Amino acid sequence: MNTLRILGAYLRRSVLQWLAGRSFIVTLVANQVAPPLIGLAVWTTALPRAGSIASYYVVLLFVRLLTVSYENHTFSNRIYSGELADDLLRPHPVVLQPLGENLALRFWHLLIGLPLMMAAVLLVRVHLQATDIALALPALLLAAVLQFLFTYLLALSAFWTEQAHGVVGFGSTLIFLLGGVAAPITLFPPGLRPWGEALPFRAMMGFPVEIAVSGVTQAEIVGGYLWQVVWVATFAAGCRVLWRRGIRRYTAVGG
Amino acid sequence: MRYARLLGLIFVASLQRELAYRANLAFAGALALVNAAAGAATLAIVYGHTATLAGWHIGEALALLGAYQIVSGLLETFIEPNLAWFGGKVARGELDDVLLRPAPGLLMVSLGSAQPWRLWQAVLGVLTGAVGVAHMAAAPSLIGVLASLVLLMTGVIITWASRIALASLAFWAPGIALDVFFGAVWQLGRYPVSVYHPVVGWLLTYVIPLAFVATMPARALTRGADLTLVGRGLLVAAMAVGAMTVVWRTGLRRYTGATS
Repeated sequence: MNTLRILGAYLRRSVLQWLAGRSFIVTLVANQVAPPLIGLAVWTTALPRAGSIASYYVVLLFVRLLTVSYENHTFSNRIYSGELADDLLRPHPVVLQPLGENLALRFWHLLIGLPLMMAAVLLVRVHLQATDIALALPALLLAAVLQFLFTYLLALSAFWTEQAHGVVGFGSTLIFLLGGVAAPITLFPPGLRPWGEALPFRAMMGFPVEIAVSGVTQAEIVGGYLWQVVWVATFAAGCRVLWRRGIRRYTAVGG
Repeated sequence: MRYARLLGLIFVASLQRELAYRANLAFAGALALVNAAAGAATLAIVYGHTATLAGWHIGEALALLGAYQIVSGLLETFIEPNLAWFGGKVARGELDDVLLRPAPGLLMVSLGSAQPWRLWQAVLGVLTGAVGVAHMAAAPSLIGVLASLVLLMTGVIITWASRIALASLAFWAPGIALDVFFGAVWQLGRYPVSVYHPVVGWLLTYVIPLAFVATMPARALTRGADLTLVGRGLLVAAMAVGAMTVVWRTGLRRYTGATS
């Protein structure tokens, strides 16, 4: 309960801090929505008769804004600047601060992106069923957790290298290509599709969208949820191991 | 010629500085390779479901992607290292040092340093374009290649001018950072503009002339030389430079320096 209170305090603080930087968040939102909008244009041109493809990319807009993670900026930069030394002295887990900031940024992305999403829903005929949305919501929550863990894991590379931004950028490219942004996994060539379903990137992005637009069978939904749980556990364990090893290497000057 | 020599020296000095960090160099090279592969793989998936995309065959789309990567590589090598987060430089008065140098201020502000390893992206763009040409039904004509090169050059000039004009807005509002927004719009250039809604296509041709960065050079290469197209490219480049010069000069008058 105490942990939740501390997380809530970091969340409130970050929401208020970003209030001053909301014009910058508008540009971040533009950067996040550009790939799904390009995907929408490309795939509706390539497959004009596939009605669900437009719904897929409109829902993807929503999922993308709710799963954004910038831990290379909010956390890696604190390692590089030595500010992590201050964080280590606080009587709570260090991860609460980047997590609070992550939630605040997602709140702002959703708030600023909402008019765009409403416009997209009105312009593109989106057909969604309440049961599909209900089934997709837990997958969205797990995707949001997974993407935070994945980005945080890559951001921890800042303990060893100066290239944490590049490492996270590499991860973003993989999410773009294999997560269902460049193309829905269901449109992958048959030989590649099982790989796309098993790798963690679809679990971070495309899976909740596929459920919401009725793009998967019940067996595939169960399989997808299992993969999500497996990857959440794997990345959580990975973060724990890397944090413990990284913190032993960490040195900072100051006083 | 004097300025070309100066830019050459800046490039060599930047290269020497970067060669001191070889691991970073190798990592950045691998990252560019992955990005280029991701772009080509996306096209491969799209063309696995359709023979043409807005009238473009896969070879033509690859040639376009190559042109986009070439201009992106040149942008990242020569322009972005100088104009990224320009508002902060204006607010902190860091332009003083650059403007006092015995060379044109605009040249030094926009091209005063370089990230030579980013040229690797342009090299990958050339390779992607070559693969695209190899997949085309007919080899491009010599005049088509020349027209494409001229349009690619106009694309680079338009990119340079647009980036300076955008950065110059910092003279009026240094708190507004439009770098990320530029990156978001820039992504639209990797596909033919005919893929987008006609209104967006018109905007990308005449308002934010991103069409001249990749679509027009690729069109000249794949569909033969069109002198009207080359003329339009040169005209748009001249207009972009003219507009940028006005914005830059007007903005610079507002600059007060670090100590005033």
